Amino acid sequence: MSSRPILHAAVCVLALIAILGDREALADRLDLIQKRGTLVVGVKSDYPPFGMLDANGRLIGFEPDLAAELARRLDVRLQLVAVSSTNRLQKLEEGAIDVVIATLGDTPQRRRIATIVEPNYYASGVTVVAPPGNRLSGWADLRGKKVCATQGAYFNRPMAQRFLLDLQVFNGTRDTKLALRDGRCVAWLYDDTGIASILNDPEWANYETPLPSTMISPWAMAIAASEHGSRLERILSDAIADWHRSGWLLEIEQRWDIKPSRFLADAHELWTRVRSDGDPVCTRLASGEWPTECRNKLLLTSTDVAGLYHVGLLIKERTGLNLTILYDAYDRDLFLSGLWMTLHLMVTSIAGSLLVGCLGALAAESGTPFLHGFVRLSAAVGRMTPPLLLIYLIFFGVGHIVVTRIGWTFDGSVIAIFCLSLYTGCAIVVALLEASAVLKHQEPGFSLGWRNLPRVLRLAYASVVASLVNVVKATGMASIIAVPELISASTAIVAEQGNPAVMMNVLMITYFLLVMSTVRIFNYIERRMLQHDVR
Amino acid sequence: MTSAEIVGMLLAWTPFLAGGFAWNILISLVAMAIGTVLGAVLARLRLSGRKSLARTSLVVTELTRNIPTFVFLFYLAFLIPAEFEISGQIHVFPAWLKAALALSVAVVGFVSDNLFVAWQHWRNHNHAAALLFVPSWTMYLLIIVMASSTASVIGVGEIVSRCNIIIAAVGGDETMFWVYAYAIGYFFIFCFPLNWAMGHVKKRLLARVGTASPQKSGK
Repeated sequence: MSSRPILHAAVCVLALIAILGDREALADRLDLIQKRGTLVVGVKSDYPPFGMLDANGRLIGFEPDLAAELARRLDVRLQLVAVSSTNRLQKLEEGAIDVVIATLGDTPQRRRIATIVEPNYYASGVTVVAPPGNRLSGWADLRGKKVCATQGAYFNRPMAQRFLLDLQVFNGTRDTKLALRDGRCVAWLYDDTGIASILNDPEWANYETPLPSTMISPWAMAIAASEHGSRLERILSDAIADWHRSGWLLEIEQRWDIKPSRFLADAHELWTRVRSDGDPVCTRLASGEWPTECRNKLLLTSTDVAGLYHVGLLIKERTGLNLTILYDAYDRDLFLSGLWMTLHLMVTSIAGSLLVGCLGALAAESGTPFLHGFVRLSAAVGRMTPPLLLIYLIFFGVGHIVVTRIGWTFDGSVIAIFCLSLYTGCAIVVALLEASAVLKHQEPGFSLGWRNLPRVLRLAYASVVASLVNVVKATGMASIIAVPELISASTAIVAEQGNPAVMMNVLMITYFLLVMSTVRIFNYIERRMLQHDVR
Repeated sequence: MTSAEIVGMLLAWTPFLAGGFAWNILISLVAMAIGTVLGAVLARLRLSGRKSLARTSLVVTELTRNIPTFVFLFYLAFLIPAEFEISGQIHVFPAWLKAALALSVAVVGFVSDNLFVAWQHWRNHNHAAALLFVPSWTMYLLIIVMASSTASVIGVGEIVSRCNIIIAAVGGDETMFWVYAYAIGYFFIFCFPLNWAMGHVKKRLLARVGTASPQKSGK
C-alpha cells in the first residue's frame, strides 16, 4: 500500500516532465520551422500590390517579398498561404501558419490576441482621390465640402469630425467611384494603399491624390500569442530593423511601384540616426526591448516609458486628456513653432499697421490736395474690404499673375502680414486724420508732419491701440493660406491625434493670453506716456 | 479670357454670389442680435448698485474683449457637435449658427462698453450723446459683416465659399482674381453708403452734444 502513492507521484512527475518537455519543443516555433525546413507565411491575395495572385495563380507582391527574405534569412523554404482579414489571426492561433504578413494594422485589441512584432514594417493612412484639376493643397481645403466615402470604413467618422467634412457615404467602392465620377463630391476618402491600386487602372489614370495621408495606422507582422518573447520574435524583429536601416523596404516599395510612403522614409531616417556618442538611437535596451522613440507611439502605455512621456501618458490614462504637446516631441515642436510664427505675425502686423497708418496720414496731410482725397478714399476702401478676402485675392489672384508673368513667389506669411497691415493701417489713417483735425481746430497753425506725429499718435492712442489689438486677434487668418501658425499647428495635431477638446482649449487659452499680454503692454506704454507728461 | 468673357462670367454667377452675401448679412444680424442682448445685460449689471455684480460684469466684458473671434470660430466648429439628440429627436446645429455665435462674442464686449457709456449719458439727460450709440452700433455691424466672411473656413455657404465654388467650376487662372475682386465689391457697395450715412448722423449728434453741453465728454 505504501508504494502506491510514491508510484503515483512518480507517474505524475514523469507525465509533467513529458508535458513540459513536449511543450518546450512545441513552444519554440523556430525549432519546428527549422525541423520541417519550411516557413509558412500568411499573406493577402486580394490587396494589390501588397499581396495578389499573378497570372499563374502564385502569390506575389510587397508582402510575399518580405516573406521570401525571411525564409532566406532562416535558410528554409517558403510556403505562402492566402489569408483574409477575417481569418488571418485565427489561422495563426491554430498553428496553420507561422507568421502573418497581411496588411495587419497594429492595434491594442490585436496585441491582446497575437504577438505583434515590432518595429512596424509599413503603414497605411487615409487620403483622397480627386479628379484632375482639383485645387486641393491641404486637408483644410476640404472643410465643409462634399466628400464621398465608402460605408464601413473605420476612418469615416473621425475624419469627418477632424476636418469637418460633409461626408456622402456610399455603399461599396463601385458606387463611391461612380459618385466621384459624376461630380457628386469633390473627392473620395479612402485607404491610401487601396487608392494606389485604383490609380493603376487606366480609367483612373488621370485622377490624383493631392493630399498627404493622415490617420496613419502602422502595419505589423504577427506571430502566435504564445510566441511572445521567443527566439522567432527576436529574429523577425531584428530582420525588420535591418530592413529599415538598410533602406531595403524602400527598394521593395519602389519595385512594386508603390507611391513612396512617408512612414518608410521616416523609419529609415530614424533607424539610421546616431546619438552624439556614435551609437545608433535604435539599439536594444538591456531589457531586450527597443527604445521608446523607435516603437509605435500610439500603443505605448505609461509603464513602457519614462520622463515627460510617462507623465503625459499617465494623464491620458487617468483623465482621458491627451496632452500630446507635452509628451510627444513632434507635436510639441509643431505647437511651439506655431506659437513662434504667431508671435512673429503679431509683432510684424503691429509694426506694419503702424507704418501704413503713419505714412498714409503723413501723405494725406503733405499738402498735395489730390493726395489728400486719394488717401482718404483708399483708407475707406481698405476698411471695407474683408481681410480674409484680401488675403485670398493677393495670395491666389495676384500671386498667380505674378508667378506666371514675373516668376516671383511670395511666402504666405509675408502676404498675410501685408494684408492685415493694410486693413488695420487704413483704420489707423482715419484715426490719425481725425486726431489731426482736432489739433487743427485747437491750434489754427497746426499741420501734421514728422515732428508732431508723436503728439497726434498720443491723441489718437485709444483708437489706434484698439485697431492694433484687433490685428493681433486676426493673425489666425494666416492659417487659411497654410501659414504654419498656431491654428494650423493645432488643427494638424487634432487631425493626427484626434484630441479636439484638448487642443482647442489649449489654442483658445494660448491666444487669450497673447491678446491679454498685448493689451497689458499697450496699457503700460500709455501709463509711461502719462507719467512722462506729468514730469 | 477676354474682358467680355470675364464680365459675362461674373454676371452669370451674380445671383449665386448675391445669395451667398445674403448669408453674410443674416449671420451678422444674428450675431449682432445675440451680442446686443447679452451685452446690454452686462452693461445694465455694470450700472447696478451692487459692487459684486458690477465687478463680475466687468470681468466678463474683459473676457469677451480678449477672445479672438477667428480662433473662437474654430473652437465652436470643433467642439459643438454638428448634430445632437434631445429626447430621441436628432437636431442639427448648423455651421452658420456656430459662426454667428463666434462673432457675437465680439459684439458682447462692444455693446457692454458702449451701452454702458450711453446709459450714463441718458441718465444725465444728455440724450444726444447717448444716441451716439446708434451710429456706433451700425458701424460695428459693418465690421461684423466683414468678419462674417471668416465663416467660410468652417464651411458656411456664404460669399467667400461661393467664390471658391465658382473658381473650381469655371477654372482658368485669371478667374480667381476677378471673382475675389468682385466679391470685395459686394462688401464695399453694402458698407459704403451705410458708413457714410452713419458718419453723417454721428456728426449731427456730436454737433448737438457740443451745443447742449460745452464740456467735452471724455472717452
